[in-house]
Amino acid sequence: MNCEVCQLKELEVEHYELREVLRCILHTIVFQRALGLVRPKDIDLELFEITYVQCGDAEVEKKIDEKIEQFISWVEKHPNKKSQICLSFYEVKSKQPSWFTNKIERLYWEQWYVNLNVSQLPRAHSIKSRHSKVVDPGESASEERSARRPALEASLRDVLFQIIKFVNEKKDHVPPISEGVIYFPFEITIPRKRSLENFNLVFDGRKIVFKVALRNYFLQFIGLCFWDGYDKENAADWASNHAQLMEELGS
Amino acid sequence: MASSHNNMHSEAAKMEQIVTEFYAKSLQIILESRSPYMSSRNFSGEQTLSPSSSSSSSSSVRPRDKWFNLALRECPAALENCDLWRQSNSEPMVVDVILVQRPVGWDQVNFSPKRDLVRHFSSKERCLVGWSSDQEELGCEGKSEKIVERWIVQYESRKASDCSSGSRRSSNYALHNVYKKSILLLRSLYVTVRLLPGYNIFRDLNSSGQICTFTLGHRVSSFVEPFTRKEEAEFQRFGFTPVDTSSGRLCISVLYRSLPSDVCSEPSTPMSPQFIPDYVGKPIGGSTEEIPLPSYVTLLTVVIAIVTTPHFSPSPSPSPPIYIPGRHLSTGLLRSESAPFSLPAPKLANSPALSSKHRSPSPPLKITRSNTSRIDRSMGQIQTGEAIEKFHSFGKDDSRKSSGVKLSCNSSPQISFSRSSSRSFQDDFDDEYPCPFDVEDVDVTDSSSRPESFDQKGHLCEPLEPGGYPKKSQDAAVGAFVCMLKKAPPLRQDFSGSVNLSEASRPETWSSTTQEPRQISDATSSQQGVSVSITSFWSCSIKDNC
Repeated sequence: MNCEVCQLKELEVEHYELREVLRCILHTIVFQRALGLVRPKDIDLELFEITYVQCGDAEVEKKIDEKIEQFISWVEKHPNKKSQICLSFYEVKSKQPSWFTNKIERLYWEQWYVNLNVSQLPRAHSIKSRHSKVVDPGESASEERSARRPALEASLRDVLFQIIKFVNEKKDHVPPISEGVIYFPFEITIPRKRSLENFNLVFDGRKIVFKVALRNYFLQFIGLCFWDGYDKENAADWASNHAQLMEELGS
Repeated sequence: MASSHNNMHSEAAKMEQIVTEFYAKSLQIILESRSPYMSSRNFSGEQTLSPSSSSSSSSSVRPRDKWFNLALRECPAALENCDLWRQSNSEPMVVDVILVQRPVGWDQVNFSPKRDLVRHFSSKERCLVGWSSDQEELGCEGKSEKIVERWIVQYESRKASDCSSGSRRSSNYALHNVYKKSILLLRSLYVTVRLLPGYNIFRDLNSSGQICTFTLGHRVSSFVEPFTRKEEAEFQRFGFTPVDTSSGRLCISVLYRSLPSDVCSEPSTPMSPQFIPDYVGKPIGGSTEEIPLPSYVTLLTVVIAIVTTPHFSPSPSPSPPIYIPGRHLSTGLLRSESAPFSLPAPKLANSPALSSKHRSPSPPLKITRSNTSRIDRSMGQIQTGEAIEKFHSFGKDDSRKSSGVKLSCNSSPQISFSRSSSRSFQDDFDDEYPCPFDVEDVDVTDSSSRPESFDQKGHLCEPLEPGGYPKKSQDAAVGAFVCMLKKAPPLRQDFSGSVNLSEASRPETWSSTTQEPRQISDATSSQQGVSVSITSFWSCSIKDNC
């Protein structure tokens, strides 16, 4: 089964708009993948004339809100950057623990990439916006913001219709509905600093979480420690290998 | 063999049932978000239902909710109009969402959207809801109708030849697969209906407390009335990917207009002006800042009522305490047309004009006089008490800053009531102490033409020179002023008692007014006709000056 990937149109948002925009997009996707019995919940956005739909599950709402808050924290530390959130639906296939690796196999069948270009507010305002849901950052850029708002709303609508079209066009890859399951298991991946704990690889649609790379990294590191510096041939290979490894592993 | 035939038959029956329920669910999704009076949005508090509770408490989930795993609110319009498609699902279901705009000056009593929506004609061939045929004409009865959306739900039957060639894809046409894809399609439909422009109208109709000049209606039929080319050009189309079945495919599409924003946010019948009885402004008596406006509106209303009541007269006959004090004075003052009331003023403490006048003895006297007149008019309102207290607090607070709010008995030009010297200051002060019954000099002069209003005051009755305050001796002026103070209703809980006392002691007050300001102040304080705070304040002021 292939993993269908949807790259959503990039949105230029301001920091204080992040929460609403992400809730709208993520819930819209999850609702259309919650094929169990649901009583939908209509939510009106505060910043835009858009109503999106939640599946009404408290756990889903909590999970999405937590990830959004983590993402916002990350954005505050990495201002004015293009970023991406990945919403992935998977099936848990089987667990095959081994002596060295702890292989948890998840079969990802769909991934949604939410592309954002977040412009950060000035520091004074950013502190305030962290603790409030929707904050008017100030009057200084209000005119510019009011001009931007309709464009962002239109873009957000485009993204929502893009989601609807994708959901409509690609249905065959969706797994069968399990009894008693409200929604397909999913995970939300946000950018984070590189961690040596978990490395994720996407290979031919199968994502295997393993810690072997961690072993390899340490081995190479140990090798570097013993490198006396005179043999420069290996150094070049090591650097390129290291860069390649980092590139593959991703953030 | 027979079993396989039976299986196929049962599968066909189930497929037909899926198609039938698909029609019903589609109609419910559409009408639920386009019928302003039949929507789950009105029950926002009950919209959420956790899946665990929904699955465990099956009693709360109706059988039709389980179809396509989508539990929606009751939609009678949908239930009434899907009978045709329960009998035969070969007919397309056409749902027209119609924007009805009422003409200017419409009769809101006679126009009942609900009534219009309920009227319907149903038949086997045609099912109509919403309008009778005679109201479908544009401009009929002044209403303007415009189709803003057209939804078409259809099960396109596949030809027999095509069905046979689909054996290789039989797995795709399996019931569970078709059902799953139908669920996905209806999920998308649910999201889409909320993104189209028509939903904003629906939401505004449901949430707005105003009476709108437009409403939404719908019409469900089994045939498509073609649009003109011009109309068709105004529509945009969105089509959902059909769900293929073994014998056909389920299709949903929509034609929709891009509505102008003013339709959704169109100002409608304005709300009737309302008084805000519990307007929360500044704390009572705790600030020298603006006095809430509605209190002045209330005061004005009371005063107008007083003036227009038949019992209102300048006679000294007993009347409710609220009306007694200074009513004779108030009559004349109220009949003036100038400055009915002013809006809440900026802070007194920050007034440069006021601060510049602190050292002038005359303005305070002037202010107090006008304040007294306000007190008279307020007829014992608490807000007037606020004004007095605020002025009093000003006087106390600023006594260090200025030579004081003082009454100077000897400096005649400063205590004069001439317009030229103090009017500007009064204007500034009025701006800072908003007064609903702003007294300008002309008001006082107008009262001079009504000598009866001053009869009982004796010396206060002296006619006023036009264009200004009476140019009398300082003592007389002070006495008159103190009389006005005495006639003011007592503050707050002292009202009832103090008013009566003030009236009873009026002759004594008048007799002593013109003689000695000190005696007046002492008499006033002894009579307890006026708030102790004001009396003591003035008594201190008089003593300081004399």
